[in-house]
Amino acid sequence: MEVFFQFTQITHQFAPNGPFIHASGSLQPGKALAVQGPSGAGKSTLLRILARLIKPTSGTVIYQDQNWQAIPPRYWRRKIHYLPQKPVMFEGTVRDNLKLPFELDLLGKEGSLDLDKAKLLLTEVGLPLASLDHDARTLSGGEAARVALVRSLLIDPEILLLDEPTAFLDTETGKKVLMYLANWLQNKKNRGLLLVSHKENNLAFFPGMQAVVIQSEGTRG
Amino acid sequence: MMNYGIIPISHLQLAMSIILVLMAGLVSAFLKLGLLKSLIWGTIRAFIQLSLIGYLLAYIFQINHFILILLIMLLMCYIAAREATRRVNVPTQEPLLVSFLSLTASSLLVSVIVVTLIITPRPWYSAQIWIPIFGMILGNSMNGISLALDRMYNEVRSHTAEIEALLCFGASPWEAVKNSVRKALRAGMTPTINSLMVVGLVTLPGMMTGQILAGADPREAVRYQFVVMVMITASAALGCLLLIGISYRKMFTEDLALTEDMRQSHN
Repeated sequence: MEVFFQFTQITHQFAPNGPFIHASGSLQPGKALAVQGPSGAGKSTLLRILARLIKPTSGTVIYQDQNWQAIPPRYWRRKIHYLPQKPVMFEGTVRDNLKLPFELDLLGKEGSLDLDKAKLLLTEVGLPLASLDHDARTLSGGEAARVALVRSLLIDPEILLLDEPTAFLDTETGKKVLMYLANWLQNKKNRGLLLVSHKENNLAFFPGMQAVVIQSEGTRG
Repeated sequence: MMNYGIIPISHLQLAMSIILVLMAGLVSAFLKLGLLKSLIWGTIRAFIQLSLIGYLLAYIFQINHFILILLIMLLMCYIAAREATRRVNVPTQEPLLVSFLSLTASSLLVSVIVVTLIITPRPWYSAQIWIPIFGMILGNSMNGISLALDRMYNEVRSHTAEIEALLCFGASPWEAVKNSVRKALRAGMTPTINSLMVVGLVTLPGMMTGQILAGADPREAVRYQFVVMVMITASAALGCLLLIGISYRKMFTEDLALTEDMRQSHN
Protein backbone atom coordinates (compact mmCIF):
# COMPACT_ATOMS: atom_id res chain seq x y z
CA MET A 1 0.00 0.00 0.00
CA GLU A 2 1.09 3.56 -0.73
CA VAL A 3 3.09 5.30 1.99
CA PHE A 4 2.80 9.05 1.84
CA PHE A 5 4.40 10.05 5.12
CA GLN A 6 7.33 8.16 6.57
CA PHE A 7 9.75 8.98 9.36
CA THR A 8 12.83 6.83 9.65
CA GLN A 9 15.07 6.38 12.66
CA ILE A 10 14.25 9.70 14.24
CA THR A 11 16.63 10.07 17.18
CA HIS A 12 16.69 12.91 19.61
CA GLN A 13 19.00 13.43 22.52
CA PHE A 14 17.74 15.97 25.06
CA ALA A 15 21.18 17.04 26.28
CA PRO A 16 24.75 15.87 25.79
CA ASN A 17 24.90 12.51 27.62
CA GLY A 18 21.19 12.96 28.43
CA PRO A 19 18.25 10.68 27.69
CA PHE A 20 17.25 10.02 24.09
CA ILE A 21 14.38 8.70 22.01
CA HIS A 22 14.14 6.67 18.80
CA ALA A 23 11.13 6.29 16.57
CA SER A 24 10.26 5.13 13.06
CA GLY A 25 6.85 4.90 11.47
CA SER A 26 4.78 5.50 8.40
CA LEU A 27 1.35 6.68 7.48
CA GLN A 28 -0.95 5.69 4.64
CA PRO A 29 -3.39 8.16 3.11
CA GLY A 30 -6.65 8.36 5.01
CA LYS A 31 -5.20 6.53 8.00
CA ALA A 32 -4.29 7.41 11.56
CA LEU A 33 -1.20 6.43 13.50
CA ALA A 34 -1.09 6.27 17.29
CA VAL A 35 2.09 7.42 19.01
CA GLN A 36 2.55 5.35 22.12
CA GLY A 37 4.95 5.11 25.01
CA PRO A 38 4.98 5.69 28.76
CA SER A 39 4.66 9.16 30.26
CA GLY A 40 7.72 11.28 29.60
CA ALA A 41 8.89 8.95 26.81
CA GLY A 42 8.97 11.85 24.34
CA LYS A 43 5.68 11.47 22.47
CA SER A 44 5.11 15.22 22.30
CA THR A 45 8.75 15.68 21.36
CA LEU A 46 8.28 13.35 18.39
CA LEU A 47 5.28 15.38 17.18
CA ARG A 48 7.26 18.59 17.62
CA ILE A 49 10.15 17.09 15.65
CA LEU A 50 7.78 16.06 12.86
CA ALA A 51 6.43 19.65 12.82
CA ARG A 52 10.05 20.81 12.52
CA LEU A 53 9.84 22.82 15.73
CA ILE A 54 12.75 20.77 17.10
CA LYS A 55 15.65 19.53 15.03
CA PRO A 56 16.28 15.84 15.77
CA THR A 57 19.77 14.57 16.40
CA SER A 58 19.33 12.31 13.38
CA GLY A 59 16.64 10.83 11.18
CA THR A 60 14.68 11.76 8.15
CA VAL A 61 11.11 12.25 7.01
CA ILE A 62 9.73 11.61 3.56
CA TYR A 63 6.47 13.25 2.58
CA GLN A 64 4.95 12.43 -0.82
CA ASP A 65 8.32 11.24 -2.14
CA GLN A 66 10.11 14.38 -0.97
CA ASN A 67 12.71 14.67 1.76
CA TRP A 68 11.52 17.13 4.40
CA GLN A 69 14.61 19.29 3.96
CA ALA A 70 13.50 19.93 0.37
CA ILE A 71 10.27 21.56 1.55
CA PRO A 72 10.38 25.11 3.03
CA PRO A 73 9.62 24.92 6.79
CA ARG A 74 6.75 27.42 6.68
CA TYR A 75 4.98 25.49 3.97
CA TRP A 76 5.74 22.22 5.80
CA ARG A 77 4.22 23.39 9.09
CA ARG A 78 1.15 24.69 7.35
CA LYS A 79 0.61 21.24 5.72
CA ILE A 80 2.02 18.95 8.45
CA HIS A 81 0.31 20.78 11.24
CA TYR A 82 0.98 20.30 14.94
CA LEU A 83 -1.59 21.08 17.60
CA PRO A 84 -0.20 20.99 21.15
CA GLN A 85 -2.13 19.54 24.04
CA LYS A 86 -2.48 22.87 25.83
CA PRO A 87 -4.59 25.10 23.60
CA VAL A 88 -3.16 28.51 22.73
CA MET A 89 -5.70 31.32 22.57
CA PHE A 90 -4.71 34.74 21.31
CA GLU A 91 -6.15 38.06 22.40
CA GLY A 92 -9.59 38.80 20.98
CA THR A 93 -12.77 36.86 20.29
CA VAL A 94 -13.07 33.29 19.05
CA ARG A 95 -13.79 34.77 15.61
CA ASP A 96 -10.50 36.77 15.79
CA ASN A 97 -8.69 33.58 16.72
CA LEU A 98 -10.14 31.70 13.77
CA LYS A 99 -9.22 34.56 11.44
CA LEU A 100 -5.68 34.89 12.73
CA PRO A 101 -3.98 32.25 10.51
CA PHE A 102 -5.45 33.93 7.42
CA GLU A 103 -3.95 37.25 8.43
CA LEU A 104 -0.51 35.73 8.00
CA ASP A 105 1.30 36.19 4.74
CA LEU A 106 1.35 32.52 3.67
CA LEU A 107 -2.31 31.64 4.31
CA GLY A 108 -3.53 35.12 3.43
CA LYS A 109 -2.43 34.41 -0.14
CA GLU A 110 -4.60 31.28 -0.22
CA GLY A 111 -7.77 33.04 0.85
CA SER A 112 -9.66 34.29 3.84
CA LEU A 113 -11.59 32.64 6.65
CA ASP A 114 -14.63 30.71 5.39
CA LEU A 115 -17.08 31.71 8.10
CA ASP A 116 -19.74 29.19 7.04
CA LYS A 117 -17.21 26.40 7.31
CA ALA A 118 -16.09 27.76 10.68
CA LYS A 119 -19.68 27.72 11.96
CA LEU A 120 -20.17 24.18 10.70
CA LEU A 121 -17.00 23.00 12.41
CA LEU A 122 -17.89 24.69 15.71
CA THR A 123 -21.22 22.87 15.66
CA GLU A 124 -19.53 19.56 14.81
CA VAL A 125 -17.33 19.78 17.92
CA GLY A 126 -20.26 20.81 20.12
CA LEU A 127 -19.67 24.56 20.47
CA PRO A 128 -22.57 27.03 20.13
CA LEU A 129 -22.36 29.61 17.32
CA ALA A 130 -22.65 32.37 19.91
CA SER A 131 -19.16 31.44 21.08
CA LEU A 132 -17.78 33.18 17.96
CA ASP A 133 -18.13 36.47 19.81
CA HIS A 134 -16.81 35.24 23.15
CA ASP A 135 -13.49 36.44 24.49
CA ALA A 136 -11.15 33.57 23.60
CA ARG A 137 -9.04 34.00 26.72
CA THR A 138 -12.01 33.40 29.03
CA LEU A 139 -12.99 30.05 27.51
CA SER A 140 -12.76 26.89 29.62
CA GLY A 141 -9.98 24.41 28.85
CA GLY A 142 -12.34 22.16 26.94
CA GLU A 143 -13.82 25.01 24.90
CA ALA A 144 -10.40 26.44 24.10
CA ALA A 145 -9.15 22.99 23.02
CA ARG A 146 -12.03 22.69 20.58
CA VAL A 147 -11.61 26.23 19.23
CA ALA A 148 -7.91 25.48 18.69
CA LEU A 149 -8.82 22.28 16.83
CA VAL A 150 -11.36 24.11 14.66
CA ARG A 151 -8.76 26.81 13.92
CA SER A 152 -6.28 24.14 12.83
CA LEU A 153 -8.86 22.31 10.69
CA LEU A 154 -9.82 25.56 8.95
CA ILE A 155 -6.33 25.97 7.50
CA ASP A 156 -6.89 22.59 5.81
CA PRO A 157 -3.71 20.76 6.77
CA GLU A 158 -2.85 17.46 5.10
CA ILE A 159 -1.45 15.74 8.15
CA LEU A 160 -2.57 16.62 11.66
CA LEU A 161 -0.20 15.96 14.54
CA LEU A 162 -2.52 15.90 17.53
CA ASP A 163 -1.25 15.79 21.09
CA GLU A 164 -3.97 14.48 23.41
CA PRO A 165 -6.86 16.24 21.62
CA THR A 166 -9.39 14.97 24.16
CA ALA A 167 -7.38 15.70 27.32
CA PHE A 168 -9.61 18.64 28.31
CA LEU A 169 -12.89 17.10 27.12
CA ASP A 170 -15.56 15.02 28.84
CA THR A 171 -16.21 11.56 27.39
CA GLU A 172 -19.20 12.59 25.26
CA THR A 173 -17.55 15.65 23.72
CA GLY A 174 -14.34 13.66 23.25
CA LYS A 175 -16.29 11.05 21.24
CA LYS A 176 -17.84 13.77 19.09
CA VAL A 177 -14.42 15.24 18.31
CA LEU A 178 -12.86 11.86 17.49
CA MET A 179 -15.79 10.90 15.27
CA TYR A 180 -15.39 14.16 13.42
CA LEU A 181 -11.66 13.53 13.00
CA ALA A 182 -12.34 10.01 11.66
CA ASN A 183 -14.66 11.55 9.05
CA TRP A 184 -12.21 14.33 8.30
CA LEU A 185 -9.59 11.70 7.37
CA GLN A 186 -11.90 10.20 4.76
CA ASN A 187 -13.34 13.47 3.39
CA LYS A 188 -10.45 14.34 1.16
CA LYS A 189 -7.64 12.44 -0.51
CA ASN A 190 -4.21 12.41 1.11
CA ARG A 191 -5.03 13.24 4.67
CA GLY A 192 -3.34 11.66 7.66
CA LEU A 193 -3.40 11.84 11.43
CA LEU A 194 -0.77 11.22 14.09
CA LEU A 195 -2.33 10.96 17.48
CA VAL A 196 -0.87 10.93 20.97
CA SER A 197 -3.50 9.65 23.36
CA HIS A 198 -3.45 8.02 26.74
CA LYS A 199 -7.04 6.86 26.36
CA GLU A 200 -6.90 3.40 24.72
CA ASN A 201 -10.52 3.50 23.57
CA ASN A 202 -9.87 6.71 21.63
CA LEU A 203 -8.06 4.56 19.10
CA ALA A 204 -11.16 2.51 18.28
CA PHE A 205 -12.55 5.45 16.29
CA PHE A 206 -9.97 5.03 13.56
CA PRO A 207 -10.30 1.79 11.61
CA GLY A 208 -7.00 0.24 10.58
CA MET A 209 -5.07 2.49 12.93
CA GLN A 210 -1.51 1.43 13.50
CA ALA A 211 0.78 2.37 16.35
CA VAL A 212 4.35 3.50 16.71
CA VAL A 213 6.00 2.93 20.07
CA ILE A 214 8.68 5.39 21.12
CA GLN A 215 11.85 3.75 22.34
CA SER A 216 13.43 5.87 25.01
CA GLU A 217 16.53 5.49 27.11
CA GLY A 218 17.08 7.38 30.34
CA THR A 219 14.53 9.62 31.92
CA ARG A 220 13.96 13.29 31.42
CA GLY A 221 14.48 15.82 34.15
CA MET B 1 21.96 89.22 30.78
CA MET B 2 24.88 89.08 33.20
CA ASN B 3 27.61 86.69 32.22
CA TYR B 4 30.13 85.86 34.90
CA GLY B 5 31.91 83.20 32.86
CA ILE B 6 33.03 80.00 34.51
CA ILE B 7 34.04 80.28 38.19
CA PRO B 8 37.11 78.06 38.60
CA ILE B 9 37.31 75.62 41.55
CA SER B 10 40.71 75.83 43.24
CA HIS B 11 42.54 72.83 44.81
CA LEU B 12 41.51 74.03 48.24
CA GLN B 13 37.91 74.48 47.19
CA LEU B 14 37.95 71.03 45.62
CA ALA B 15 39.30 69.61 48.87
CA MET B 16 36.30 71.15 50.64
CA SER B 17 34.07 68.67 48.81
CA ILE B 18 35.45 66.08 51.25
CA ILE B 19 32.84 67.54 53.63
CA LEU B 20 30.15 66.07 51.39
CA VAL B 21 31.81 62.65 51.40
CA LEU B 22 32.08 62.86 55.20
CA MET B 23 28.37 63.57 55.44
CA ALA B 24 27.51 60.46 53.45
CA GLY B 25 30.13 58.52 55.47
CA LEU B 26 28.58 59.61 58.75
CA VAL B 27 25.14 58.42 57.66
CA SER B 28 26.63 55.06 56.75
CA ALA B 29 28.63 54.76 59.99
CA PHE B 30 25.82 55.98 62.22
CA LEU B 31 23.25 53.57 60.79
CA LYS B 32 25.81 50.74 60.34
CA LEU B 33 24.97 50.44 56.65
CA GLY B 34 28.31 48.80 55.87
CA LEU B 35 28.79 51.16 52.93
CA LEU B 36 31.82 53.03 54.26
CA LYS B 37 34.39 50.99 52.37
CA SER B 38 32.44 51.24 49.11
CA LEU B 39 31.94 54.96 49.65
CA ILE B 40 35.62 55.64 50.16
CA TRP B 41 36.62 53.42 47.23
CA GLY B 42 33.91 54.98 45.06
CA THR B 43 35.04 58.50 45.92
CA ILE B 44 38.68 57.70 45.13
CA ARG B 45 37.73 56.00 41.88
CA ALA B 46 35.45 58.84 40.81
CA PHE B 47 38.18 61.39 41.52
CA ILE B 48 40.88 59.46 39.66
CA GLN B 49 38.64 58.49 36.71
CA LEU B 50 37.34 62.03 36.24
CA SER B 51 40.81 63.57 36.59
CA LEU B 52 42.22 61.16 34.04
CA ILE B 53 39.39 61.77 31.61
CA GLY B 54 39.82 65.52 32.14
CA TYR B 55 43.51 65.35 31.15
CA LEU B 56 42.76 62.87 28.36
CA LEU B 57 40.03 65.08 26.89
CA ALA B 58 42.25 68.16 27.12
CA TYR B 59 44.95 66.21 25.24
CA ILE B 60 42.50 64.94 22.59
CA PHE B 61 40.99 68.40 22.08
CA GLN B 62 44.48 69.75 21.60
CA ILE B 63 45.43 67.13 18.98
CA ASN B 64 41.96 67.22 17.40
CA HIS B 65 42.75 64.55 14.83
CA PHE B 66 39.86 63.02 12.90
CA ILE B 67 41.16 59.39 13.13
CA LEU B 68 41.81 59.70 16.86
CA ILE B 69 38.27 61.01 17.44
CA LEU B 70 36.84 58.11 15.45
CA LEU B 71 38.91 55.54 17.38
CA ILE B 72 37.79 56.99 20.69
CA MET B 73 34.18 56.92 19.58
CA LEU B 74 34.49 53.25 18.57
CA LEU B 75 36.06 52.42 21.93
CA MET B 76 33.19 54.21 23.66
CA CYS B 77 30.74 52.12 21.60
CA TYR B 78 32.50 48.91 22.58
CA ILE B 79 32.37 49.77 26.28
CA ALA B 80 28.71 50.80 26.01
CA ALA B 81 27.81 47.60 24.11
CA ARG B 82 29.54 45.49 26.75
CA GLU B 83 27.66 47.30 29.49
CA ALA B 84 24.33 46.99 27.66
CA THR B 85 24.66 43.23 27.24
CA ARG B 86 26.24 42.38 30.56
CA ARG B 87 23.01 41.04 32.03
CA VAL B 88 21.67 39.34 28.92
CA ASN B 89 22.04 35.60 29.39
CA VAL B 90 21.61 34.09 25.96
CA PRO B 91 24.75 32.18 25.07
CA THR B 92 24.11 31.66 21.36
CA GLN B 93 22.89 35.11 20.43
CA GLU B 94 26.13 37.13 20.26
CA PRO B 95 24.41 40.14 21.85
CA LEU B 96 27.70 42.02 22.22
CA LEU B 97 28.37 42.18 18.49
CA VAL B 98 24.76 43.03 17.72
CA SER B 99 24.69 45.78 20.37
CA PHE B 100 28.01 47.18 19.19
CA LEU B 101 26.81 47.38 15.59
CA SER B 102 23.47 48.96 16.43
CA LEU B 103 24.94 51.41 18.96
CA THR B 104 27.69 52.48 16.57
CA ALA B 105 25.40 52.89 13.56
CA SER B 106 22.61 54.74 15.40
CA SER B 107 24.89 57.00 17.46
CA LEU B 108 27.05 57.86 14.45
CA LEU B 109 24.07 58.70 12.26
CA VAL B 110 22.42 60.90 14.89
CA SER B 111 25.66 62.63 15.89
CA VAL B 112 26.50 63.35 12.24
CA ILE B 113 23.10 65.04 11.83
CA VAL B 114 23.47 66.99 15.07
CA VAL B 115 27.04 68.12 14.49
CA THR B 116 27.02 68.82 10.77
CA LEU B 117 23.50 70.22 10.37
CA ILE B 118 22.66 71.80 13.72
CA ILE B 119 25.82 72.76 15.63
CA THR B 120 28.09 73.18 12.55
CA PRO B 121 31.46 73.70 14.29
CA ARG B 122 34.61 74.68 12.36
CA PRO B 123 36.45 72.51 11.61
CA TRP B 124 33.56 70.04 11.35
CA TYR B 125 35.55 67.35 13.17
CA SER B 126 36.01 69.36 16.35
CA ALA B 127 36.71 66.86 19.16
CA GLN B 128 35.29 69.32 21.68
CA ILE B 129 31.88 68.95 20.04
CA TRP B 130 31.94 65.36 18.78
CA ILE B 131 33.05 63.53 21.91
CA PRO B 132 30.62 65.06 24.43
CA ILE B 133 27.71 64.86 21.97
CA PHE B 134 28.57 61.28 21.07
CA GLY B 135 28.93 60.38 24.75
CA MET B 136 25.49 61.72 25.59
CA ILE B 137 23.88 59.91 22.67
CA LEU B 138 25.68 56.69 23.49
CA GLY B 139 24.85 56.71 27.18
CA ASN B 140 21.15 57.01 26.50
CA SER B 141 21.08 54.59 23.57
CA MET B 142 22.91 52.10 25.75
CA ASN B 143 20.14 52.22 28.34
CA GLY B 144 17.47 51.92 25.67
CA ILE B 145 19.18 49.00 23.97
CA SER B 146 19.77 47.20 27.22
CA LEU B 147 16.08 47.49 28.14
CA ALA B 148 14.90 46.48 24.67
CA LEU B 149 17.21 43.46 24.42
CA ASP B 150 16.31 42.20 27.86
CA ARG B 151 12.62 42.70 27.20
CA MET B 152 12.71 40.98 23.80
CA TYR B 153 14.29 37.79 25.14
CA ASN B 154 11.98 37.73 28.16
CA GLU B 155 8.89 38.30 26.02
CA VAL B 156 9.84 35.57 23.57
CA ARG B 157 10.74 33.12 26.31
CA SER B 158 7.45 33.69 28.11
CA HIS B 159 5.38 33.40 24.91
CA THR B 160 6.95 30.37 23.24
CA ALA B 161 3.58 28.56 23.03
CA GLU B 162 1.99 31.48 21.14
CA ILE B 163 5.02 31.90 18.90
CA GLU B 164 5.15 28.20 18.05
CA ALA B 165 1.38 28.17 17.42
CA LEU B 166 1.88 30.96 14.87
CA LEU B 167 4.83 29.13 13.30
CA CYS B 168 2.56 26.08 12.92
CA PHE B 169 0.18 28.19 10.82
CA GLY B 170 3.08 28.95 8.49
CA ALA B 171 4.02 32.31 10.07
CA SER B 172 7.40 33.78 9.21
CA PRO B 173 9.76 34.41 12.15
CA TRP B 174 8.89 38.11 11.97
CA GLU B 175 5.14 37.42 12.03
CA ALA B 176 5.63 35.06 14.96
CA VAL B 177 7.58 37.49 17.16
CA LYS B 178 6.36 40.91 16.07
CA ASN B 179 4.18 41.39 19.17
CA SER B 180 7.13 40.63 21.46
CA VAL B 181 9.34 42.89 19.37
CA ARG B 182 6.86 45.77 19.62
CA LYS B 183 6.83 45.45 23.40
CA ALA B 184 10.62 45.40 23.45
CA LEU B 185 10.84 48.55 21.32
CA ARG B 186 8.33 50.31 23.53
CA ALA B 187 10.35 49.31 26.61
CA GLY B 188 13.51 50.69 25.00
CA MET B 189 11.99 54.00 23.88
CA THR B 190 9.62 54.82 26.75
CA PRO B 191 12.19 56.21 29.22
CA THR B 192 13.53 58.79 26.74
CA ILE B 193 10.02 59.79 25.65
CA ASN B 194 8.97 60.13 29.30
CA SER B 195 11.98 62.32 29.98
CA LEU B 196 10.85 64.62 27.11
CA MET B 197 7.63 65.17 29.06
CA VAL B 198 9.17 66.27 32.34
CA VAL B 199 12.37 67.97 31.26
CA GLY B 200 12.57 71.47 32.69
CA LEU B 201 9.66 70.79 35.06
CA VAL B 202 11.02 68.11 37.36
CA THR B 203 14.70 68.18 36.49
CA LEU B 204 17.17 70.55 34.94
CA PRO B 205 19.31 68.23 32.86
CA GLY B 206 23.02 67.97 33.60
CA MET B 207 24.15 69.36 30.29
CA MET B 208 22.05 72.49 30.61
CA THR B 209 23.02 72.95 34.26
CA GLY B 210 26.67 72.60 33.27
CA GLN B 211 26.37 75.25 30.59
CA ILE B 212 24.58 77.63 32.94
CA LEU B 213 27.24 77.07 35.63
CA ALA B 214 29.86 77.74 32.99
CA GLY B 215 28.27 81.15 32.45
CA ALA B 216 26.13 80.52 29.40
CA ASP B 217 22.89 82.39 28.83
CA PRO B 218 20.11 80.02 30.03
CA ARG B 219 18.13 80.82 26.88
CA GLU B 220 21.07 79.53 24.84
CA ALA B 221 21.54 76.55 27.15
CA VAL B 222 17.93 75.39 26.68
CA ARG B 223 18.38 75.42 22.90
CA TYR B 224 21.28 73.02 23.29
CA GLN B 225 19.31 70.97 25.75
CA PHE B 226 16.38 70.66 23.37
CA VAL B 227 18.69 69.42 20.62
CA VAL B 228 20.24 66.96 23.08
CA MET B 229 16.85 65.62 24.15
CA VAL B 230 15.59 65.00 20.65
CA MET B 231 18.87 63.51 19.52
CA ILE B 232 18.75 61.11 22.47
CA THR B 233 15.20 60.13 21.54
CA ALA B 234 16.17 59.57 17.91
CA SER B 235 19.23 57.52 18.75
CA ALA B 236 17.37 55.36 21.29
CA ALA B 237 14.69 54.67 18.67
CA LEU B 238 17.18 53.94 15.90
CA GLY B 239 19.44 51.90 18.16
CA CYS B 240 16.59 49.72 19.41
CA LEU B 241 15.24 49.26 15.89
CA LEU B 242 18.63 48.22 14.52
CA LEU B 243 19.30 45.95 17.46
CA ILE B 244 15.98 44.15 17.13
CA GLY B 245 16.23 44.10 13.34
CA ILE B 246 19.59 42.37 13.48
CA SER B 247 18.94 40.09 16.42
CA TYR B 248 15.34 38.81 16.14
CA ARG B 249 16.29 36.42 13.35
CA LYS B 250 18.99 34.91 15.57
CA MET B 251 16.30 33.56 17.87
CA PHE B 252 15.35 31.14 15.08
CA THR B 253 17.10 28.11 13.64
CA GLU B 254 17.70 27.48 9.95
CA ASP B 255 14.38 25.58 10.04
CA LEU B 256 12.69 28.82 11.17
CA ALA B 257 11.89 27.32 14.59
CA LEU B 258 12.81 28.90 17.94
CA THR B 259 16.34 28.04 19.06
CA GLU B 260 16.75 25.81 22.07
CA ASP B 261 17.75 28.60 24.45
CA MET B 262 14.63 30.57 23.45
CA ARG B 263 12.23 27.71 24.21
CA GLN B 264 13.73 26.65 27.52
CA SER B 265 10.32 26.64 29.14
CA HIS B 266 9.31 23.64 26.98
CA ASN B 267 12.06 21.20 27.91
